[in-house]
Amino acid sequence: MLNRQVAPPLTPIESIDFSVPQQLTIGAKVPFYWKNNIANETSKIELHFDAGTTVEKALVASLTAGLLISGTAKKSAIQIHHALDALGAYYDVSVSQEQSIVTIYALNSYLSAAFSIFHEAFSQAIFPEKELQEICNERQEKLKVQLKKVNVLAQRKVQQSLFEGTPYANVIQFSDYEKITRKDIQNFHATHYLKGLAKVYLVGDISMDEMEKINVQCADFVGEKHEVPTVSFAHQPSVHHEEKTDALQSAVRIGKILFNKTHPDFIAFSVLNTILGDYFGSRLMSNIREDKGYTYGIGSYMMENTHFGYFMIATEVAKEVREATIQEVRHEIERLQTELVPSEELDLVKSYLLGQLLKAADGPYAMLDLFAGVELHGMDISFYNQYIQKVREISAEEIREIARKHLDWESFSIISVG
Amino acid sequence: MIHFERFKLDNGLTVIFHKEPSTPMAVVNLLYDVGARDESEDKTGFAHLFEHLMFGGSVNIPDFDGPLQSAGGESNAFTSNDITNYYDVLPAHNLDTALWLESDRMLSLAFTDKSLEVQRNVVIEEFKQRYLNQPYGDVWLELRPLAYSKHPYKWATIGKEISHIEQAKMSDVKAFFKKHYHPSNCILCIIGNFELDFVKEKVNFYFGSIPKAKKSARILPLEPAQDRFKSKTIVRDVPADAFYYAFKMPERKNPGYYYADLLSDIMGREKVSKMYIELIKKKKLVSEINAYITGSLDEGLFIITGKLNEGKSFADLDKEIWNIIKHYKTTLISNKELEQIKIKLRTARAFQDQGLLNRAMNLSYFELLGDANGINQEQEIYQSIQAEDLRHFAKQLFAKKNAVLLKVKQKKHA
Repeated sequence: MLNRQVAPPLTPIESIDFSVPQQLTIGAKVPFYWKNNIANETSKIELHFDAGTTVEKALVASLTAGLLISGTAKKSAIQIHHALDALGAYYDVSVSQEQSIVTIYALNSYLSAAFSIFHEAFSQAIFPEKELQEICNERQEKLKVQLKKVNVLAQRKVQQSLFEGTPYANVIQFSDYEKITRKDIQNFHATHYLKGLAKVYLVGDISMDEMEKINVQCADFVGEKHEVPTVSFAHQPSVHHEEKTDALQSAVRIGKILFNKTHPDFIAFSVLNTILGDYFGSRLMSNIREDKGYTYGIGSYMMENTHFGYFMIATEVAKEVREATIQEVRHEIERLQTELVPSEELDLVKSYLLGQLLKAADGPYAMLDLFAGVELHGMDISFYNQYIQKVREISAEEIREIARKHLDWESFSIISVG
Repeated sequence: MIHFERFKLDNGLTVIFHKEPSTPMAVVNLLYDVGARDESEDKTGFAHLFEHLMFGGSVNIPDFDGPLQSAGGESNAFTSNDITNYYDVLPAHNLDTALWLESDRMLSLAFTDKSLEVQRNVVIEEFKQRYLNQPYGDVWLELRPLAYSKHPYKWATIGKEISHIEQAKMSDVKAFFKKHYHPSNCILCIIGNFELDFVKEKVNFYFGSIPKAKKSARILPLEPAQDRFKSKTIVRDVPADAFYYAFKMPERKNPGYYYADLLSDIMGREKVSKMYIELIKKKKLVSEINAYITGSLDEGLFIITGKLNEGKSFADLDKEIWNIIKHYKTTLISNKELEQIKIKLRTARAFQDQGLLNRAMNLSYFELLGDANGINQEQEIYQSIQAEDLRHFAKQLFAKKNAVLLKVKQKKHA
């Protein structure tokens, strides 16, 4: 008989199967990871280049990425896009602070042909002046829209505050567009793309011959190995509000420099971060959204780069409760530093995190992303087994200790716009 | 091919089960046949506000999310003008938890004053964040009433105005629940590595005792045939002038829906479409241009939208847009282009089908349309479309009297 007031018994997750892709190389140096035995006909290839926004000026990195298939001496951008479309392939580029990732998605029978089209367009790119003009116009129009948004303004400001004095603080300004030339793009492409391939990820059931052909083509883009330079940050915590009289909400960002997976406190901090602000039932959501109704959403997150990470709390709130919100965030952080997390809550978060990891390992694409997450830091897949073990073992005392160690309120930059 | 089983409980609940042996996860998706189109004009935004309240505790279970998170799962929902869709993704061995939670909130909600008060505020902040405090954020609040005069698509899911949400009363909430939240108004879809008998037993156990209620007939105000072109200009603090041409297009179940969808893909293609080449590359009139459809169940909108470059006028643009439209009304799309679009659709579909949640939502949606198996027939329909079908369709769609135009003009600062 069903008793609706009693929750069904739960079964904990025993273990999760983590798998690694085949590891090949391009030439002798650059890793080429291949995941096959896929249950469907989808496939993708990802090329990671050392061509992020911190390598040189942010704008040149961003525009070069946008122009990678903008035409060769023989073919126009339109012809190249038509050729990719004829294979049903999708092409995408994303640029982050440290790298640029080119992705081609296609049905597995067309992947190799699509890659050949990309290879030719990319290696023979001439960057026509006209294409440069067009992308500059389009991007400046987009930037105008972005700079009307309080969340974008707050994000730019907090980035500048955290990373002051380093390339990580660079954000694209309108004035950057006045100086950019075709020559800058050509040089960036020659240095950071044609000789900048750092690694390749391939998912999909293609033939051995096709895989080898792609591998050989990739070898054209291998140069001297680039090491991401270490940076030292001299973050001066600052509190800053920028008033926007016509805004209806204020965007708030509270952040600090932190570490990445290589740090011994990383997993413990991940648990702490979840409790504070990284799931729907978090302390910040429960207090600031579900109890007070100040916001549509508030969250905290951890970001990772090669040599460091950072931690951020982000929200948009009604203007009149901006200060109250910041005080509530502080209150929640201090509570984690002084009180022990009740066992019921801690158990819930542990189960939630393990369930989310099970989901993150479900399917070949997800599994490869998990692998890439450790590969970036020179770690292996056993990290996730350590993660499971640590999450299971962590105590309320340790969470409090980690909060005291890493969440000192005075160490945060607090930026608000609106 | 996505295989599925369908069964119905005595209380009217329709269940779709799709077995996926490769996953350790389960998806539980509930599509309720209620959306913003079912609201009355003086109480808009209600279906969406209600979606928020569905997370505020049910009759026997004070907290929805906690037990699901304890089971390693998570949940979310969305509301459109047509439907409200809830989903839970959790480790398969804890399937019971999701069924227990979902069946209890289908049975009845807790209806606490605190939950209503807080979610009213949360939704008001959502209204500000997404619609009012963004450049071009209020475009759909303006475009809908311009395009529809009678049909409830004339208001957005978030509501016509904030005051409707502020004034929501507990009695309204209860009446809304009673009318729309019961087994025969819901399609439940389950995906996971289970056997059919097991799923039947579980669903019966949790949902079988929920009382049957009659599915109420939906009688919506009919939108009269549009007889003339309409246009409206609004002045806003935006960085560039923007335009939204909206053409009335056929409802979801009409074959014309597929023509509209394919035509919008062709016209809106980045980098290679005629609009892109003419307006961005050659004439330098606009900085961006796009075409898409709203995809609604009733008569929808085919949208052509973009932003003008500085110093260019709406009049210049208008001439060019109608020239391009004329092209599609008179000239056949080449087979080469048509084949490109079709193979791209095939690729996109293969990638979408990879996601369990996507499959669950699509199966539920096709079941709402009449048969979940539609998910397996859709590609065939797209692949069979010919250039002549599209030209013929474009002639009907792109009549000027079938269009409205919203212009967002940049406020000039002194």
